[in-house]
Amino acid sequence: MTTILLGPQRFTVTVAPTVRSLDVAGPIAMINAGWEEREPDDAELAGHLDGRGVNLRLYQRAVELLSVDHALRAAVLEHRARHEELRAFYRIRLQSAHDALLAVRHRTSRHGGGASADLAAVLALRDVDDWYTYEVARITRETAAYEAISGSAELARHRAEVAETLAGASAVVMAGGHVGILMEALHLFAVDLPADLPVVAWSAGAMAVCDPIVLFHDFAPHGIAADEVHDRGLGRLSGVIAFPHAKRRIRLDDPERMAALIDRFPNHSLVPLDDGTIVRVATGTSALPAGTRVFAPSGIVTTEGAS
Amino acid sequence: MTGRLAINRLRERLPVDGPAIDRFVARHASPIIEGERATFLYRGDVDDAFVRHRVVGLPDPLTMRRIGESDLWAVTTVLPEGSRVEYQIEIRKGDAYERFNDPLNPWLAHSPMGSSSVCAASGYRVPDWVAPDPEARPGTLIQQVIPSKALRRDQPIHIYLPARFNRAQRYPLLVVHDGTDYLKFAGMKTVLDNLIYRLDVDPLIAVFVPPGDRIKEYANYAPHARFIARELVPALLEGLPVREEPEWRCLMGSSFGGIASLSTAVRYQGFFGSLLLQSASLVFTDIGFDHGGGPAFDPVVKFVNKYRAKPARVVDRIYMTCGTYEPLITANRSMVPVFRHTGTRVHYIEARDGHNWDNWRDRLGDGLSWLFPGPQRFVYE
Repeated sequence: MTTILLGPQRFTVTVAPTVRSLDVAGPIAMINAGWEEREPDDAELAGHLDGRGVNLRLYQRAVELLSVDHALRAAVLEHRARHEELRAFYRIRLQSAHDALLAVRHRTSRHGGGASADLAAVLALRDVDDWYTYEVARITRETAAYEAISGSAELARHRAEVAETLAGASAVVMAGGHVGILMEALHLFAVDLPADLPVVAWSAGAMAVCDPIVLFHDFAPHGIAADEVHDRGLGRLSGVIAFPHAKRRIRLDDPERMAALIDRFPNHSLVPLDDGTIVRVATGTSALPAGTRVFAPSGIVTTEGAS
Repeated sequence: MTGRLAINRLRERLPVDGPAIDRFVARHASPIIEGERATFLYRGDVDDAFVRHRVVGLPDPLTMRRIGESDLWAVTTVLPEGSRVEYQIEIRKGDAYERFNDPLNPWLAHSPMGSSSVCAASGYRVPDWVAPDPEARPGTLIQQVIPSKALRRDQPIHIYLPARFNRAQRYPLLVVHDGTDYLKFAGMKTVLDNLIYRLDVDPLIAVFVPPGDRIKEYANYAPHARFIARELVPALLEGLPVREEPEWRCLMGSSFGGIASLSTAVRYQGFFGSLLLQSASLVFTDIGFDHGGGPAFDPVVKFVNKYRAKPARVVDRIYMTCGTYEPLITANRSMVPVFRHTGTRVHYIEARDGHNWDNWRDRLGDGLSWLFPGPQRFVYE
C-alpha cells in the first residue's frame, strides 16, 4: 500500500512524475469531489495522468442522486444538519478550552501550580476533541443505518459502479478543494480504497487519506481561533495529520500557537504539505519516511521519521 | 514632506497671478492631503467661502480665507490618518448663499439625500471587495412582494441568492433594513458576491427590505416588528432553504434602521441570533427627556431609555459600528457595555468616518465575516 502525499499542485505540479514513478499500467481513478461543481473540469488533471484518468464523479453522482431520491436527500440533509449542530457546540467548547489553555500559560506560577494546571488544560482540550470525534462517528454510523441510505437501490448502484471502477484502477489520485464536501462524498459512496491500490493525494485530498482531519487557518478574517477536528479521515495514514499550505495558513513563527497544536495531538505526526513536498509512505505502514518534515514547538523541523 | 504646507508656500510667493494659481490648482489634487493636514480649495469671485461638513469636533463651517488678492480660497484642518470626510463648499455673494459639491474634487459619495464631495486622508483605502470582481460569481436578486397584514400593505422585497445557490443546502438569513439603499448606496450585492467568492463570508440569503414611512416604522413600531418576525421570516422559511435555528438569523440596519433591528429583536427575544448595527440612532437621556433630536427621535429615545433601564439579552451576538466623526458616537459607545452586561457578545468597531453610506459599506467586510465566517477553513486547493 503506497500512499504519497504531495504539496499543493497549483504552482508546483509534481503529480505527473509522481504517478509515473509508481510504474503502474492501466486506468487511474480520479477523485476531485472537493472541487464541487467544477468536478467535470478535470482535463488538466487527466493530462497529468497521460490520459489514463477515470473520474469517479462523486460530486456529480451525489447531485444526480439527491435530485431523484428524495428520501435519500432528506437523510443526507438531516445528517448535514446534525453534523453542523454538533460542530457548533464543539466550537463553543473548543474555543473555551483553547482560551483556558492559553490563559493558564500566560499566568505566572511561582509555587509549582502552573505545570499541573497546564496539563489539566491540555487534557481538557483533548477531551473536547475526543468527545466531538466520538459524536461524529456516532451520527455517521446512525446515518449509514438509515433505511433511506441502506435501502436505496440507486445509491447501491452508484456505490457498485464506484467500487468496480476502483477495482479496475491501477492507482488513485485525490485532489484538493472543500474537504467537508469531499468527505461527504466519500462517505455517501462508501469509498473504500483497496489496501494494495497506490494513492497519490494533495491538499484536501491529502487530509482525507490521513486520520484525523484537522481544519486550520490563522489568517481568516474571523471565526474560531483554535484548530478544529473535522472528521476521521480514510485512515490510510492513521495518526498522521496533514497541513496543506502550512506556510500560508499557519503562524509558524509563533511558538505559543505551535505548542498548543502539538500538545493537543501528542501521538500524531503533524505534517506540513507546502509547495513541492512529497511524502512517500511505503506499503503496509503508516510510518513516515526519514526526512519527513513535521511540526515541533519551534516550528518545522526535519525528523528522522520512523521508517 | 518639507514641513511647510503647499498653500503656505504659495502664500509666500505673493502676489500670485492667475496663471500661478492655475498651475497650483492643476498640480495639487483637492483637497491637498499633507500628513495629517487637509487643505480645501475653492476658486471663484465670491465674498466668502466655507467648507460645510458634519464632523463632530471640527467647527462647522470651516471658514476659508482668500489667498492674497486672488480668487483662490483655502482652509487647512487636521485630518488624522485613515479618515474619510464628506463635505460641500458653501459660498456667499452679497446676501446669497449657495452650497454645492467641490468643483475641484471629482470624488463624490451618494446617498438618498444627494451627493457630497469626499476627502480621504492618507491611509484610507476603499476596500478591494467593493468593486465588481470579474472572477466572483454573481448571486441573483429576485424581486418579490409580501402581503403584510401587520403593515396593511404589500411590502416589496429583494431576495439575494448567493452564487451556486443549491436547494440541497441550508443558508443563513440576513434581513437588511433600508434594503434598497444598501443595494444602491453601499453596493451590497457586489459586496456579498465578492466576500462570498473570497470565502470570507458564508454563502447566505439576504433580504433587502425598503421602508414605507421610515421615520414612523423604524422607531420601535410594533407592526414593523410583527411584519419582520411573523410574516417575512415565516414566508422565507416556507419558500427558501433557510436555516431554521435563530442563531442563523441576523437583522441589520444603519441609523434608524439600527433601531428597527434592535427593537424588532427586543419585541421577539430569541427569534434572531444576531444584529449588525451601523451608526444606530441609540439616542437616550439619563435624566429628563431633552434629547435634542427633534420629534422624530421621541419614540427612539423612549425605547432606548426603557431598554437601558432594564437591559435584556435579546440576541447572542451584536456587531456594532459607528463613525468617530458622527454625533451618534457617544450614544453608541455608551451602549456597548450595556449590551455586554446582558451576556451578549459584542464586537464594536469605530472608524474615522461619518454618518454615511460609504462608511457603512466599508464596515460590511469585517461585520459580515464576524457574523457569518466563511468556509476558508474547509478549502485547501
